[in-house]
Amino acid sequence: MGMTAAEKILARTSGLPAVKAGDIVYPRPDFVMIHDGVVRGAKEELDALGIHRVFDPERVLMVSDHDVVYVNDRAAARGAFNRKAAEAWGIKHFYDAGQGGHGHIFPTERGWVLPGTLYFDNDRHCTNAGGIGALAIRMGTEINRVLATGTNWTLVPKSVQLTIKGKMPHGVFARDLGFVIGKHLGPDGDFGVDIDYRVLEFAGELDQFSLAARISLCSTPTEMRAIGVFFPPSETILAYAKERAQRPFTPVYPDADARYEAKIEFDVSTMKPQVALPGGPHLAADLASVAGTPVSHTYVGSCGSGMYEDLEIAASILKGRKLARGLRMIVVPGSEDSTRRMTREGLLDIFHDAGAMVIPAGCGPCASGRTGLIDDGENSISTAVANGRGRFGAKGAQLYLGSPATVAASAVTGRITDPREFL
Amino acid sequence: MTTNSEFQWVLKGRCYKLGHDVWHAGGVVPNWIITGRHFDPQEIIPHLFEETDPGFHTRCKPGDIIVTGKNFGMGPKMNGYIAMQALGLGLVCESMPFLAYRAAIGCGVRVLTDCVNVSEFCETGDELEINFRDGFFINHTKDIRREYPPLPDALMEIVELGGNAGWLKHWQAQQQAGGPA
Repeated sequence: MGMTAAEKILARTSGLPAVKAGDIVYPRPDFVMIHDGVVRGAKEELDALGIHRVFDPERVLMVSDHDVVYVNDRAAARGAFNRKAAEAWGIKHFYDAGQGGHGHIFPTERGWVLPGTLYFDNDRHCTNAGGIGALAIRMGTEINRVLATGTNWTLVPKSVQLTIKGKMPHGVFARDLGFVIGKHLGPDGDFGVDIDYRVLEFAGELDQFSLAARISLCSTPTEMRAIGVFFPPSETILAYAKERAQRPFTPVYPDADARYEAKIEFDVSTMKPQVALPGGPHLAADLASVAGTPVSHTYVGSCGSGMYEDLEIAASILKGRKLARGLRMIVVPGSEDSTRRMTREGLLDIFHDAGAMVIPAGCGPCASGRTGLIDDGENSISTAVANGRGRFGAKGAQLYLGSPATVAASAVTGRITDPREFL
Repeated sequence: MTTNSEFQWVLKGRCYKLGHDVWHAGGVVPNWIITGRHFDPQEIIPHLFEETDPGFHTRCKPGDIIVTGKNFGMGPKMNGYIAMQALGLGLVCESMPFLAYRAAIGCGVRVLTDCVNVSEFCETGDELEINFRDGFFINHTKDIRREYPPLPDALMEIVELGGNAGWLKHWQAQQQAGGPA
């Protein structure tokens, strides 16, 4: 019996000829990522045990992305602690505030995350790795064991194969599809699978999805409890990876006779622009059903829509236009590299001329109530990964999700708006 | 890593039965315990199941077993498991989200999951005997016996050592003694 992509990656890193779903293995990841919010907890716990070093300072990426612009004393203290921790551990690749950007975006742009890579991360949205054909597994607070020993027990996940049929219609984007996939993966969804701790492996007509689109499609399945998402890398994506690779890599593709828990086909050719209704990214609804709903808070960014292409789509709609009166827009690039490119290519001017605010790369408002907050009674539409009550602060706000195009179109009109009117 | 042959893998105690789809926040511990980042078991214990079974902590005894329906512990948090481990309680579930199971193991809770229909075979107050190492379930009150998937061998030492922190402490002691990694 052949292996799925996830099984192949876990076999390689576990030093085994083959693994199968349900095995418990101890992989040696290509690197480990730890985000700003959990450094203190991990450092203090390890220090209390007398463990003052990490397994390999060369293979730990420490990133500051959840709290980049310190807006309170606690955040400033956390930043100061993290800098001392990086020094004490001798971390070679510490991307502090303003240095890298979003930990689920810039490491792909910088050639850390490559086809076939395995890494461990404390944060679950590391599933973005699947966009380029890699696997990243969330360890939560057990990242401390990985930092100390270089590995941790890992249950080889089952995989579900989702075959895409047809072409996405004009004006329908990856996030729209992601919301619909989320809906069908939900408890009452048409796919009829339990995606908890499964890898969603895409197949079928994938050439229509750019790297940014593939990364966008990793977002909502993660919110539905998938442990991974995987796209077999195309030639275009392999060329992208080769240009920036930090180390040699071997792409991974599933075997033809790999064992899947389920195989699903989904035709995208009749899709329409979507929103996710307040409450969750899986609450997909045709945008038309809420078109015209007034909004005053808009935001483009997050690990679900933080690639440069996402910013370009939003900018293409805002070019030469102004934000609606009484509406604010926050734009958060996924990386500092994207911010510099926005300067070079004129996107910063487009956003600023429209009246939007561009803030430093990172998670932005999606990191639960740190920047760009909202008030009770306000409505928001954004590209955040999740929209549970209180995600942007006030629990009395209504938080809709849409594609970058939908958010930009809505920012121009002040109401939830079908982006096809502007494309 | 060595294992502890004295570890108590068999628990005998009273059954506390819960339903399906219990969230960690609210269902297991109040949300403020999670958002306030309370990890001291003595702080958490008075609030375990506080919103669904007030006073639970005053009635439960070491060895008692929490039996749940499907999807127990949604929201991968560890606070409630810290209290369960400290109280010496066992946990037997029809199913758990994997990360909830991982959190329970990481806190050193004796836990069985994927116990199909187990909540049909017991009621709150029944005298249960659970062997977590072998997967045996006995309801002495109703004279019912079942066999479920045991805790995987690879995870037993984590539970024996009290969870992830205990495992790391043991690992560090072995490192300092020049023993196996």
